[in-house]
Amino acid sequence: MKRSIILLTLIAVVGCASMSAQGRRGLRLNEVMVVNDSNYVDDYGKRGAWIELFNSTFGPLEISKVFLTNDPQNPKMYPVPLGDVNTRIPKRQHILFWADGKPTYGTFHTNFTLDPNRENWIGVYDTDGLTLIDSVTVPVMESNRSFARIDDGVGAWEVRDGVSEGKHITPSSANRIKDTNGKVDMFHANDSHGFSLTIMAMAIVFTALLVLCVCFWIISRIGAKKLSDKKLKSQGVDPTSIKRAERPQGDSGEEIAAIVMALHEHLNAHDNEATILTINKVRRAYSPWSSKIYSLREIPRR
Amino acid sequence: MDFSDFIVTNLNQFWSLTGFANVTWSHVAMLLVGLFFIWLAIKKDFEPMLLVPIGFGILIGNIPFDSTAGLEIGIYEEGSVLNILYNGVSAGWYPPLIFLGIGAMTDFSALIANPKLMLVGAAAQFGIFGAYMVALALGFMPDQAGAIAIIGGADGPTAIFLTSKLAPNLLGAIAVSAYSYMALVPVIQPPIMRLFTTKKERLIKMKPARAVSQNEKIIFPIVGFLLTCFVVPSGLPLLGMLFFGNLLRECGKTTRLAKTASNALTDIVTILLGMTVGASTQASEFLTVDTLKIFALGFMAFVIASTSGVLFVKLFNLILPKSKKLNPLIGNAGVSAVPMAARISNNLGLEYDPSNYLLMHAMGPNVAGVIGSAVAAGVLLGFLA
Repeated sequence: MKRSIILLTLIAVVGCASMSAQGRRGLRLNEVMVVNDSNYVDDYGKRGAWIELFNSTFGPLEISKVFLTNDPQNPKMYPVPLGDVNTRIPKRQHILFWADGKPTYGTFHTNFTLDPNRENWIGVYDTDGLTLIDSVTVPVMESNRSFARIDDGVGAWEVRDGVSEGKHITPSSANRIKDTNGKVDMFHANDSHGFSLTIMAMAIVFTALLVLCVCFWIISRIGAKKLSDKKLKSQGVDPTSIKRAERPQGDSGEEIAAIVMALHEHLNAHDNEATILTINKVRRAYSPWSSKIYSLREIPRR
Repeated sequence: MDFSDFIVTNLNQFWSLTGFANVTWSHVAMLLVGLFFIWLAIKKDFEPMLLVPIGFGILIGNIPFDSTAGLEIGIYEEGSVLNILYNGVSAGWYPPLIFLGIGAMTDFSALIANPKLMLVGAAAQFGIFGAYMVALALGFMPDQAGAIAIIGGADGPTAIFLTSKLAPNLLGAIAVSAYSYMALVPVIQPPIMRLFTTKKERLIKMKPARAVSQNEKIIFPIVGFLLTCFVVPSGLPLLGMLFFGNLLRECGKTTRLAKTASNALTDIVTILLGMTVGASTQASEFLTVDTLKIFALGFMAFVIASTSGVLFVKLFNLILPKSKKLNPLIGNAGVSAVPMAARISNNLGLEYDPSNYLLMHAMGPNVAGVIGSAVAAGVLLGFLA
């Protein structure tokens, strides 16, 4: 009974942990445009305010039933509808919602709008309508400017005019465009001979194995002491009465094997053996599906 | 169209789809390579478990066909059967499964009894980074150089895992190179071991390792996993599965799982891994100058790794008391290649002293090499991915 309770508790804890891990905590507000006169158009050919979300995780994220709102007092303002395959955001990808107050236009059109004349607070709530996943306060901006994170999903926000270098407006795409692997470029530029990486990597490899070595040296000391204590006790000697230097060393595996072999040879000794007789049926029951096994040739033995 | 024209047209069309109509010299060359691997495995007994699947995989991957016909049979054609099987290599999930099996079949006792041997396994990883520097000098980009260099870890699954992440386009060449040199360990290592050791050093007899309790064997995979993965989280797939497999083996309560992991599962994954790696060497992708460079770099990585292992033991002996000196012939085992490299240490030791059995001592650095190469792969992945 006690064991069952412990097991159930453990399963419940693991279950809760995994449920939490599967939540939409990786969803991020990524870029917002409030006044859109000459920027991106929707499927109806109309321009309007838009909110970009970003899946910052490395797995796909289903966002149906998540709530979008511009009012902290009303967290359940716009529930993302169920049943649309496009609400599944692939890893590290973006999705765009039109804040045009026209939810009948489709899944990605919210039932609220953004006010160009004041700061707009925007929040994303989890499916319970209580847990705030992410929020941002968008300042008042001129038309056709966006408020965006500098890097997708993390860090600071900035106002982008769409003209200046690095201030591009990027609906449904990465805020910082990467055409190469930054790490590789860095090593290529700064460590063309590979010395730095070699030194760092070897230091890490040595450190990892050295830590393991020290750890097991300590464990093996404890293990050896326990074995030595056991040996002394079996000889009727109190281990605490013997100095460390005078303690007998543990037997090696080879010594133990030799002793066992000697016992076996000279005393015809045996270990205690389980006297359980098990009878297994080995002949397969006939079935037309398995009968072909009798017609297959055996693999030749060399 | 009359009957004869109809027959001729269709036969011509059929002919255009056959291997005879599409064969090129590069296909023939690769088919010969595949046959050579199979010959090496069956006649010369060089790692037959690996080279037979790889060799036959090369034959499978190099049957010429018209790739524009839309037959969806090639390994690089999405949705083909071979492509689905190849996913385990390209997405990198075969190697961790192999590591699960390795963990379940490896006895870490020698290492636990003599933990300082772990450092020999670390030293042998110089092969990886030596090859990395040379690969950079030959004009490879750092990510490609890292993938090529991991051949020096002498660990096929690790090489495949890292290459699938860093340089998938070089996967075929690197995998075949890694497994070929692993099979050639008995040829490559002994001359190096003889060159860098004196006769007196080869005769060193090491103290027999003490017996290791079951508790220590159980603690090892848990502590080993936590420590190494805290240092190098990017090695998690490989190290996690390696230590998990070992815990299944040592805990004494999951014998059935350990048996499955070390026998049936490993065999299944080895078959699929070997065959698909072989099949990935399609002539059009494989026969390039870069492949030759990769083979040369792989050989060099093995030489550096073996050399650094042997030299490190000699260096280590300078600070060890006389009674605890290590035989430098176990240094080569720091490159993984389990258990072939340890067997070579043993054979060479016996050659100079028929009563000097080094096998269990060499297994220490050998399994440390597995851990070391997985850590090195994690480091490269962390720096370059």
